[in-house]
Amino acid sequence: MSTLLEVVNVTRRFSGLVAVNDVSFSLSEQEILGVIGPNGAGKTTLVSLISGTIPPSSGEIYFEKRPITHVQAYRRGRLGIGRTFQIMQPFPGLSVLDNVAVGALFGHGGSRKTLANARERAREQLRFVGLDNFVDRRADELGGPHRKRLELAKALAMDPKVLLCDEVMAGLNLVEIDEVIDVIRRVRERGISVLVIEHVIKAIKSLSDRLLVLHHGEKIADDKPDAVLSDERVIQAYLGRRRE
Amino acid sequence: MMRSKLSIGATAVVVLGIAAVPWIGSDVVVQFGISTLLLAVLAQSWNIIGGYCGYASFGHSTFYGLGSYGVAIAMAQWNLPFAVGMCLGAALAVIFAVLLGLPILRLKGHYFAIATLALALAMTAIVSNIPIAGQNIGLVLPPLNNDLLFYELSLALLVAATLTIFWLTKSRFGFGLIAIRENEEAAAVMGVNTTLYKVLAFALSGLFAALAGGIHAYWITFLDPDSAFDIGLNVKMIIMAVFGGPGSILGPVLGAFVLSAISEVLASEVTTVAGLFFGLVVVAAVVLMPRGLADLFRRFRVEGWRYFVNNIKSYSL
Amino acid sequence: MSLLAQVLLNGVLLGGLYAIMALGLALVWGVLNIVNLAHGAFIMLGGYLAWYLFTGLGIDPFLGLPITAVAMFALGYLVQRLLLNLIVRAPMFNTLLITFGIEVVITYVAQLAFSADFRTINPSYAGNNVSLGPVIIPEVRLMAFGAAILLTFGMWIFLLKTRLGRAIRATAQNLVAARLYGVEPRHLYATTFGIGIGLAGMAGSLYGAVSQINPYIGAALTAKCFAISIIGGLDNPLGVIVGGIVLGVIESLALLYVGATFGDVASFCVLVAVLIIRPSGLLGRTA
Repeated sequence: MSTLLEVVNVTRRFSGLVAVNDVSFSLSEQEILGVIGPNGAGKTTLVSLISGTIPPSSGEIYFEKRPITHVQAYRRGRLGIGRTFQIMQPFPGLSVLDNVAVGALFGHGGSRKTLANARERAREQLRFVGLDNFVDRRADELGGPHRKRLELAKALAMDPKVLLCDEVMAGLNLVEIDEVIDVIRRVRERGISVLVIEHVIKAIKSLSDRLLVLHHGEKIADDKPDAVLSDERVIQAYLGRRRE
Repeated sequence: MMRSKLSIGATAVVVLGIAAVPWIGSDVVVQFGISTLLLAVLAQSWNIIGGYCGYASFGHSTFYGLGSYGVAIAMAQWNLPFAVGMCLGAALAVIFAVLLGLPILRLKGHYFAIATLALALAMTAIVSNIPIAGQNIGLVLPPLNNDLLFYELSLALLVAATLTIFWLTKSRFGFGLIAIRENEEAAAVMGVNTTLYKVLAFALSGLFAALAGGIHAYWITFLDPDSAFDIGLNVKMIIMAVFGGPGSILGPVLGAFVLSAISEVLASEVTTVAGLFFGLVVVAAVVLMPRGLADLFRRFRVEGWRYFVNNIKSYSL
Repeated sequence: MSLLAQVLLNGVLLGGLYAIMALGLALVWGVLNIVNLAHGAFIMLGGYLAWYLFTGLGIDPFLGLPITAVAMFALGYLVQRLLLNLIVRAPMFNTLLITFGIEVVITYVAQLAFSADFRTINPSYAGNNVSLGPVIIPEVRLMAFGAAILLTFGMWIFLLKTRLGRAIRATAQNLVAARLYGVEPRHLYATTFGIGIGLAGMAGSLYGAVSQINPYIGAALTAKCFAISIIGGLDNPLGVIVGGIVLGVIESLALLYVGATFGDVASFCVLVAVLIIRPSGLLGRTA
């Protein structure tokens, strides 16, 4: 399996605070990489660095072997990097269908599409995540769990090669979590690599091929789930930390 | 399918009807018509950047003035034909939109509003110092006494502007603008080149405003900085654009026609009272019908007079 | 060299006056999150009020400040209580649009009531000058500067030390917290806006004493007040002094080196520059 995404020595500082500190890892084709770590470990920042929302203070990022460190966010979207937001970002006044259609229209290969094509593709994605009954509702009418699926559908409509999922399971009950796990597995079957940030350890353990652990912005483990979860440092980072 | 054919047909009939007015109405009606049509164009131009893209400009009179001066300078100073003047005005507007749009469109919400307002105020001062623009005295254009021509030109421009808006709603570009309006950060991540799109929208919007200004300048035959960059236009075009309801195709046209008509009926003294009228309408509309005329019609049937009370209740302290 | 010193001094004096003009705007913006596009028009009204007090009743513009303050406070209180309170929870665009409309209404009413002539308030000491070495300071400007600085400091103390002042500042954070001070929100909002307009009115009186007024100065003054508020930041009332002086000096320099009508242009350039480079202002946060 070739390497799709490569993050090399990436650091990001916010006026004195080091959010991500010299992190390196790679993501291969059709791989599911879980990213875990206590709150404030820098997980969302890492995703924002990869999607291009914020630039790194130092380091390089490569996508399909090409450097994208200085490529703007919208172009990364078109190249094939899709992401969901932890704090959900729908287009509130638009219908659910149109929300997803934006992704189809402006993502990978979007410039050749008509509105009708885009809406068709949007319907497919909504069916894929199980939201086909909500197609004509306004996006701001959806409840929490459905909004998470909408985020997924929007990113999938962009025809990504890499999907960055930021806490898509937060606030879901056990049944809903299982459904999301299933969706992510089917995403991988479509040939898309997935990077999943999660707090629900049990879920991410069964889902991921590999686990990446961040703590205070640094990578402290990067291995198969079993190996990582029995690593002393990881256990200390999670269980040993004081409640703040 | 049948419904859209019906509405195209109906719209065509209405347009032809409006076009026929100069042959039916008096001179005063035609003059009122020209003013209203040009205001409608301004409202539609605002609609592009404010209604569809979500960047509410409070200084769009800048582009109107640039168009006016483009035509005036070309015709009064260089003796060029009107069409060339319009091109000059259009070019000035687009260049301004791109150069100033790049820094200003990075500002959000009320900051953008303030910056555009300040720009509009500054234009008067800047132009008063430019010799070729006639400085404070202004310029006098070659007279053309053909209200019929100006009327049909204005109508044609309005049709062009409205068709452009219609195209926006069906195009990828327009979809991108709406996405920017609804959630700019999400739009960027999903592949929309937000900077390019915003500047294009700003330029397109400025273009129509400038063309309206150009026609107005030739029609009035005279302009000076204060009248060309009339700040009062801004409040008029905004309320007309949002009166019908935000981001709609015909809303601004409806708003322009309705508000101009009422203003004309109420006005005994032309300019002064008309300006006052628009200010009062703005205040009343924001309080009583902040969601526009379309929303009013839709919900009045259900809620009756309580509609206004409900609006106040939902937004007041 | 002494010309430069004179120009700089003019700029500083002007800056004090600008500070008091912008203070009301910054207060209302920072506390109520109301961006008042009509602020300059209220300054204009204050100027006319002082003019009428002077020419009609012989009241000196400086001594008449309390009268102007109370009258304009009442006006502001009513506008907020009866009108703006109705749209406080609407999107920001609605506030911008309604205050824009109010600006238009005030300007046209002023034009009808006062005619379009330029007017100045000319108390007996209007022509007196104070000399400080090579520079000359018109007495009126010095007094206006002094009054402005006093008022600004007074405002600062009011917000920091008095119960009402602290309730107002609490409102900026949290309406519920404000209730804890025992003040009813609608009254609190109206009072805050009233203070903002009272300040604008006083600024107008001072402006009328040092410069000319006509019904149309509102919009340009509003833009300048925005520039000042943004430069100075909205956290600290003293920030407007910095903002005012910066703008005053820039305008004076522009007048000297570029040309007579470029004051407004200077304001615009400064405004856009600050918005782009440092939206949080030089001294603090912006709402």
